[in-house]
Amino acid sequence: MIRIYRQLLVAQIQAAAQYRIQAVLWMLFSIIRPVIFLAAWTAVSNAQGGSIGSYTTSDFAAYYIALTIVGHLTTAWNSFEFEFEIRQGRLSPKLLRPLHPLHYAVVENLIWKATTFLPLLVVCALVAATFHVEWHGQWWHLALFVPSILLAAALAFMIAWVIATATFWLQRINTVNTLFQRVGFMFAGQIAPLALVPTWMQVVSYSLPFAYFLAVPAEILRGGVTLEVGLLYLVGQAFWLGLMIIAFRFAWRAGLREFSAVGA
Amino acid sequence: MRYLRMFRAFASTEFQFEMEYRGNFYLSILEMFLVIGTSIAAVLVMFQHTTTMNGWTLPQMILLLGVYYLIQGGVNLVFSPSFERVMEHVRAGTLDFHLLKPVNTQFLVSTRHLRVVRAADLVLGLVVVIVGLVQVGEQVGFAQALLFALALVFGVMLVYSLLLGLVTLSFWFVRVENLLAIFWAFTEAGRFPVDVYPLWLRVSLSTIVPIGIAVTAPANAIAGRMDWIGVALLGAGTVLAVGIASALWRKGLKSYTGASA
Amino acid sequence: MDAPVVDVRALRKVYRVTERETGLAATLRSIVKRRYRDVLAVDGITFRIDPGEVVGFLGPNGAGKTTTLKMLSGLLYPTGGEATVLGHVPWRREGDFLRGMTLLMGNRSQLVWDIPAADSFLVLKEIYAVPTAQYKRTLDELTELLELQPLLHKPVRGLSLGERMKVEFAAGLLHSPGVAFLDEPTLGLDISMQGRIRRFVAEYNQRSGATILLTSHYMDDVVALCRRVIVIHRGVLLYDGGLADLAERMAPYKRITVTLRGDVGDLAAFGDVVSSTENTATLHVPRTQAGDRTARLVRELGDQLADISVEDPPIEEVIDKVFASERPLAEATA
Repeated sequence: MIRIYRQLLVAQIQAAAQYRIQAVLWMLFSIIRPVIFLAAWTAVSNAQGGSIGSYTTSDFAAYYIALTIVGHLTTAWNSFEFEFEIRQGRLSPKLLRPLHPLHYAVVENLIWKATTFLPLLVVCALVAATFHVEWHGQWWHLALFVPSILLAAALAFMIAWVIATATFWLQRINTVNTLFQRVGFMFAGQIAPLALVPTWMQVVSYSLPFAYFLAVPAEILRGGVTLEVGLLYLVGQAFWLGLMIIAFRFAWRAGLREFSAVGA
Repeated sequence: MRYLRMFRAFASTEFQFEMEYRGNFYLSILEMFLVIGTSIAAVLVMFQHTTTMNGWTLPQMILLLGVYYLIQGGVNLVFSPSFERVMEHVRAGTLDFHLLKPVNTQFLVSTRHLRVVRAADLVLGLVVVIVGLVQVGEQVGFAQALLFALALVFGVMLVYSLLLGLVTLSFWFVRVENLLAIFWAFTEAGRFPVDVYPLWLRVSLSTIVPIGIAVTAPANAIAGRMDWIGVALLGAGTVLAVGIASALWRKGLKSYTGASA
Repeated sequence: MDAPVVDVRALRKVYRVTERETGLAATLRSIVKRRYRDVLAVDGITFRIDPGEVVGFLGPNGAGKTTTLKMLSGLLYPTGGEATVLGHVPWRREGDFLRGMTLLMGNRSQLVWDIPAADSFLVLKEIYAVPTAQYKRTLDELTELLELQPLLHKPVRGLSLGERMKVEFAAGLLHSPGVAFLDEPTLGLDISMQGRIRRFVAEYNQRSGATILLTSHYMDDVVALCRRVIVIHRGVLLYDGGLADLAERMAPYKRITVTLRGDVGDLAAFGDVVSSTENTATLHVPRTQAGDRTARLVRELGDQLADISVEDPPIEEVIDKVFASERPLAEATA
């Protein structure tokens, strides 16, 4: 398996080199929204005397920058690309090979993140300077962050793939994608740190996987959790990751049956 | 008059085409409901913790959001679909067919294609604006409504001039889609009043990517915070922007057809 | 004598192409200083076309045919020289000029692919401001001539290449232009469709009196439609006159092909042997002596002769000779 991954990496890196500019642009895309909300919350916080709940203005800044980094590292676009691949007939050849199509996507995903991470950090540094960010975390926050971000990225990836399998039945899943995007917008921590949203929304966020691939690692990175809560979060992430992997296996098998019945 | 008849022909054929895919048509409208609904929810969440944002009250924010979707709808109804095709045309050499027609090329290129379903966005945006107005509670006089309408038109034309400028670049640079992608990313910033942003962003959103001012100005106008002078200044800026973009377009055409100076 | 529909004088077009060598050093250099190369596409051509003519534009790839057509249709500004079409300077792109002419490009489509052709036609009607009654008449006529009835209401995407070409033709002629520029109109079509299009062009020219200037790779197009050809090579006009005259002047010979029952011997006595295999041979004989030589061949080969054919040299051969000469042919004396 490791050898396979090494080969895939080499091939994909060459392919990715062609699309350097687009890759960076995509990254810019993912920064804009957190920055916009950061600006808005800064205005709100200042209007309320410098803090809202337990978040000072600089806490907001730290949160949204953390969110930007986490958002970037958990990006998964397969729910969009899958439909395209099927229509272009590119899925069938992949199915003939003894390697699950998922692995190609893993490599592609990792390479994009690797290529665009440094530019991202540069932009984040600029934003941090503009909004006067201060980091109040401890070293163990960073230690916790490593497994957290890995779990989050894997979780986001699996969710994207589960959604992608809907293509086997619906052919065009644009609406499904929009639905998920917008629900995620509300419940994953983009519009506000989860501590500040109405209770019923928090319940939804934490009992469904939404909190676990975005808000949770962001809070850990920002240094806003205690050790106990941080560890609990990790458990939650692992739980949902496991659930999603199982869900994917079912969905994929059922979807393949549908796919070959209809005509690959 | 002729141009109006032409536009009606364009709209009618595009509409017939979209109606062939009725399912998609209705789904698009549903999606818009979703998008606008969640955006309003976001604003509501924010205003649980405050009564104003930079001087904007909740009803005024709702108003702004409505204007945001109005402007988006207006631009995405005609200009975006048309300009998307233009870049392809420049690449494939089929822009020639536009040039052969006895019609102003800029008009053709800007209005030839429509996404009629975006008219629904316009309606939804207007509904949101009205809801916001009702919440604001003040009476909106005829003068204010007029200012609003004017500012709205100016806002759309400002965004138009930016799009035209970007598309014109495809005469010289082949891969302009990337620039367009950046533009679309920036338009997100229009969902909040432009004065919320730090200075450099505020300036950029009023000049280079004028989505900020395009949305905030009409919102201000109908909230009674912009007077005739403000709208007149906005109008002057718009005329200037459209003029510059059009001149750039003509220059691009000349370069395409090999005219010297 | 009517005023010419197309009047071209010393028309010239030079393209400026940026030159860039490969390698990092060259790329860096090119940022500071760009190197240009001037490509001479059309080098001072002159000709006139009268109303109602059907003229063929011949030339190898890159000869300057399409560039000339683009200048005459207003798409390109020339570097030098003058031209008028229908009394207008094309590149000024005046409304009356654009309404009076059409340019059809064989490999490019102006129709929107997702909607039926009929809908695109309606849009064109508005763009050209064609009065409804006239539009109906023209459309009916074109539908009849091109057999468009089953094609009009299907999305263009679903039509075959030949069907699409017919519909493109109709689209280009809806506004009844006085001049039609056709750039490779039969490109990529199968033989029977090529024939149909040719018949249509001839018929259309007859019925409407429209002036037609067409470029083509396929000699059959030109032979079928054009009594007059203009030959262009490397941007220079090499010949302007009748096709038959051209053949006589450039290829004053006939081609005799013989098939023998046994081995081909030495036939040099009968004419120029241009090619031979075991059993066949092709000879070129002077036109005036073709009959004579044929008779001799029949007489002297007797039983050995299985088959014999006498033909004009293929037009391609003729044209190739014109290209090879690369110098304009002097006007033919009567």
